[in-house]
Amino acid sequence: MRIRSPKDFWAGLFFIAVALGFIGLSRQYGTGNMHRMGPGLFPTLVSVLLASLGLIISARAFVVDGPPVPRFHARPIIVSLAAIALFGMALAQFGLIAAVAALVLAGAVASRESRPLETLGLVIALIAFSALVFVWLLGLPIRLWPDA
Amino acid sequence: METLGNLAFGLGVALTWQHLIYCFVGCFLGTLVGVLPGIGPVATVAMLLPFTFGLGPAPALIMLAGIYYGAQYGGSTTAILVNIPGESSSVITTLDGHQMARRGRAGPALGIAAIGSFIAGCIATLVVAFFAPPLAELALKFGPAEYFSLMVFGLIAAVVLARGSVIKAIAMVCFGILLGLVGTDVNSGTIRFGFGQPELTDGIGFVALAMAFFGITDVVANLEHKDKSDVYGERLGRVLPSWEDMRVSFWSIMRGTALGSILGILPGGGALLASFAAYMFEKKIAKPPRTFGEGDIRGVAAPESANNAGAQTSFIPMLTLGIPSNPTMALMIGALMIQGIAPGPQVMTERPELFWGLVASMWVGNLMLLVLNLPLIGLWVKLLAVPYRLLYPAIFVFCCIGVFTVDAKIFDIYMLAGLSAVAYVLFKLDCEPAPLILGFILGPMMEEQMRRAMMINFGDVTIFLSRPISAAFLIAAAVMMLLIALPALRAKREVAMQE
Repeated sequence: MRIRSPKDFWAGLFFIAVALGFIGLSRQYGTGNMHRMGPGLFPTLVSVLLASLGLIISARAFVVDGPPVPRFHARPIIVSLAAIALFGMALAQFGLIAAVAALVLAGAVASRESRPLETLGLVIALIAFSALVFVWLLGLPIRLWPDA
Repeated sequence: METLGNLAFGLGVALTWQHLIYCFVGCFLGTLVGVLPGIGPVATVAMLLPFTFGLGPAPALIMLAGIYYGAQYGGSTTAILVNIPGESSSVITTLDGHQMARRGRAGPALGIAAIGSFIAGCIATLVVAFFAPPLAELALKFGPAEYFSLMVFGLIAAVVLARGSVIKAIAMVCFGILLGLVGTDVNSGTIRFGFGQPELTDGIGFVALAMAFFGITDVVANLEHKDKSDVYGERLGRVLPSWEDMRVSFWSIMRGTALGSILGILPGGGALLASFAAYMFEKKIAKPPRTFGEGDIRGVAAPESANNAGAQTSFIPMLTLGIPSNPTMALMIGALMIQGIAPGPQVMTERPELFWGLVASMWVGNLMLLVLNLPLIGLWVKLLAVPYRLLYPAIFVFCCIGVFTVDAKIFDIYMLAGLSAVAYVLFKLDCEPAPLILGFILGPMMEEQMRRAMMINFGDVTIFLSRPISAAFLIAAAVMMLLIALPALRAKREVAMQE
């Protein structure tokens, strides 16, 4: 047995794992019966369907040829996710201005083509824009500065 | 003639100063963001959603619709000038549109796209006005069983008509449904799949989900490749197409509009399918000289008209049934829910100003796009030259602020990061995100309708097959699945998708 379509194989496994997780969690919610469907029943039904589909997708990967899984480039995805999380933390602690600065500065690392001076300019421009448009113009309830 | 009266009423709503301004701002912002390469209409609408939070339902919807058309048109602009389709429905425009641009006829290509879209928009608006009310009336007669089967049909149709593997797409729908069920169950008050997080009681944020799958993932995917673009905007040529161009493309526009209006109503890649079908059709019936693929203006006029008509008529199932036919419509439904309106057939009778105002503003929006785009094409071209390294941090900022402003919850930003990780893995495994979004929106509704159907019928599952309308939907869904499973048709579908 040889995996001939790695993308499908892993996608199938992913779906099976998700489905099993949801089935496991649904057990605690009470299934009721078909007449009075409990909160756990519908998710279980959908999960069973998802697991079967995942099984078919994975099994088919042994029969049908398909492309290999493309390379995961670590830098863009990890840096981007970290930058977004950083935005969240900075926003909670220090307000929007710090958060935008953190997001843009950290996010710039995701691309090899970023240039330090440009990025600084971008930080200032985006801070000005978000403060002007979102906070003053649209009046969205976002804190600009850290609480005194 | 009732329809005309209603349209006049709608125009009365749409033509107030405030609504005109919102429509204009929507079209302008939509085009502005849509022109930026690598940002499709879904990401554009999601990013600009916070701009509508402070507004009432009618202006919010009018502005969002404007954003949507603007983003569509912006996508065509990048397709023609840079050979990068902003979204799948303008893929086909790159064929002849970019060839025209390379031959120094970028101006007429953009011009005919705008004019074709305008004509298509006018006609499709009438289609919506005439066909939506009877459909809504029909839908009001639907019971829970019919609704459930209709949603199954809609999801299957969306999957079959879209690109990629059907079985993986159905799995994505299921995954989407499960994600949609996270949060408080309305019937029992149980908090499901909440992991003890109080922030998850309201469920997963819809905007965060859409941004993760259509915003952040796209940016990351783009960052993995080198920044490359070849803009052909130095020689725009005259923007207005010549009379000869108009004469050649007039019937192409009409045929594109007809095809687009019909296909747009179908769930699934409404606008996408419409533009492909229109291009293929033109190519088949065109009289010589046939120069398709080498910058034939008909190859721009037909698909551009079709995708705009399709974009317009895809509002029909959304407005009358509350069922989204594509991810953008799913976002619109999400926006309506944020405004506290449950989408469905009752909207038309209970909130006529909303419905008819929107229909009328479709026409107004199309007119604005025409007026806006012909003179502003030069500005859009300049925007295209912005390098990606400056663009993507801005996308991050707008995504993050947008996600936060929905509920002012920091948790949603962490959710965005987490969902983006999932979205990235699924993207690498060739799983299309659109079905997941549709499942996410429809999941809770499906559960609710199924529960009601079971409640009324004492748990008898055969009800879905014994009620004629419900059975018809399910049979239609099954037939579509069978058809796609047949090897001959599947081969044909793959050829059509590849071209």
